[in-house]
Amino acid sequence: MTTVPPKGVPVRTPPRRRRLPREWPRFLVLCLLSLLFLAPVYWMISTSFKTEADAIASPVQWWPAHPTLENYRAVLTSPDGNILRWTWNSLFVALTFTVLHVALCALTAYPLARMRFPGRNAWFWFILSSLMIPGIVTLVPTYIMMLNFGWINSFHALIWPGISGVFGVFLLRQFFVGIPRELEEAARLDGAGNFQILWRIILPLSVPSLVTLAVFAFMGSWNNYLWPLYTVTDVDKMTLPVGITTFSQRYTTEYGKLMAATTLAAVPALVAYLIAQRFLEAGLSTTGLKE
Amino acid sequence: MTTTQAPATHAPTGTRRRGSLEPYLYLLPHAALFFMFTVYPIGYGLYISLHRWDLLNNTQTFVGTEFFRNLFTSGTPQFEFFWRTLWNTTFFTLVSVPLLVAAALGLAALLHRPIFGRTFFRAVFFMPGILTVSVMGILWRWMFDNQIGLVNAARDLMTGAPPIAWLSTEGLAWVPIVVGTVWWTVGFNMTLYLAAMSNIPHSLYEAAALDGATGGQQFRFITWPMLTPITLFVVITTALASFQLFGQSLVITNGGPTRSTQSVIQYITEEGFTNSQISSAAAMGFVFGLMMLVLTAAQFRLMARDVQSTEEK
Repeated sequence: MTTVPPKGVPVRTPPRRRRLPREWPRFLVLCLLSLLFLAPVYWMISTSFKTEADAIASPVQWWPAHPTLENYRAVLTSPDGNILRWTWNSLFVALTFTVLHVALCALTAYPLARMRFPGRNAWFWFILSSLMIPGIVTLVPTYIMMLNFGWINSFHALIWPGISGVFGVFLLRQFFVGIPRELEEAARLDGAGNFQILWRIILPLSVPSLVTLAVFAFMGSWNNYLWPLYTVTDVDKMTLPVGITTFSQRYTTEYGKLMAATTLAAVPALVAYLIAQRFLEAGLSTTGLKE
Repeated sequence: MTTTQAPATHAPTGTRRRGSLEPYLYLLPHAALFFMFTVYPIGYGLYISLHRWDLLNNTQTFVGTEFFRNLFTSGTPQFEFFWRTLWNTTFFTLVSVPLLVAAALGLAALLHRPIFGRTFFRAVFFMPGILTVSVMGILWRWMFDNQIGLVNAARDLMTGAPPIAWLSTEGLAWVPIVVGTVWWTVGFNMTLYLAAMSNIPHSLYEAAALDGATGGQQFRFITWPMLTPITLFVVITTALASFQLFGQSLVITNGGPTRSTQSVIQYITEEGFTNSQISSAAAMGFVFGLMMLVLTAAQFRLMARDVQSTEEK
């Protein structure tokens, strides 16, 4: 039946040639959808390089006719808000929150997963059941607490209230449970205490789940919008998502500048995504449901 | 060797003897913050909602269930706007959840089998989700700008039709919000579906192919039923997220025109932080929270099943 390929002809060619026609409709659909998905981002970046007249020109300019960096210069030196300052605030808040949150969750998940003591399951289910309380219930009381603590317009309000979130405890406990007992017992033979077990055995073996949790915590804090909108109203202390909307309210009709600001606000997330892409998608797909 | 072997088998007992307080010490920092920022605010919120909390005069007069009753007495502004914005949010959920689930499933089905550029496509569909809601909102407000937005420009280019005032026409103002939200979040669900699809055993498809099942039949009789648990999870989490609608409508339409796209959370924050009706907002938070409890309980059950499979054997 099959003819033996003559020497020198790559053997892989026939299957590839056969697969291509069958796959091309799917490939084409994916290309079209990608164009649709990328169009807004392209439009944002291309507008940011247009002069104001070109940005609102009719018919639309698909490509900046007179590319300019003026919008970026204007945005970065604007007296109405400092994008770099907001970025720094966001970074500081998100990093502090992430480190504290991951440490707190690991410390809590460890005994819940690896020790036996009275009340362990009861406590685990008690804190876990708090996941059922919708956040809107505690919004107003927590705001009043911030007022009472004098934490309005302070990073404390952005860091502390969410720090004892329970999802991270759940995530880490699920991972810690699966670590083999034998490793722990070998270390105990060498005289290691519980904390050393956690620090030297459990945590190094849990890096993937710790990173997953850290990415989630960081993104959650970085993207938080509602809470910082009301607890931090000093322009200098705003985080990036809030700062950028105040900026957009002031520059509603200056599209070039607005898009330059939006592009600048999007850049840190895009860069972080390119770095953390693997963890982010892997983490997301493993923290859903195990089936 | 043999002498050290004996205590090894009793390692758990050794842990217990070392001090029964130790596990509790590990739990303490989290527990303290948990009581302070989760347990206490719930009780405090109930207390606030039963008093007339005046931030300016620093008085707290007990009023009982007045603020709850306002929500169920027609004629009060709270009654009118709470239910109206709750309906807006429900409408958004009813429209966006089917779109977000179907689109995610469709994208995952397109990307599940190997294809040239798969990693790139995955990244493209996932990437919008990492933008903050305000960036996404500003971007889509610009896309749907009444005069010179890209959407109107594309319409003009293709059909020569005059621009549509998307942002200021009641009903139509939902279009940029829904389209923006789908663009923004569909990648998360797609990733969940892709992970679930890769767990379906290949042998099922091979057996079906031997029996002459077409691609469509394979999807109908293998993929779809095998995905039921993840679909349930995606529907619940997406519905929960949709009911939390806040930033998209705030940034894109600012709730307008005439509150037609205002979300219930935006209304609660307006009542509490703009109108300084803290107690009224706390009461609404409770009522809306109770409604959400049904959905969160469903999600909780799915998560609890996951816990039980890892309970110590």
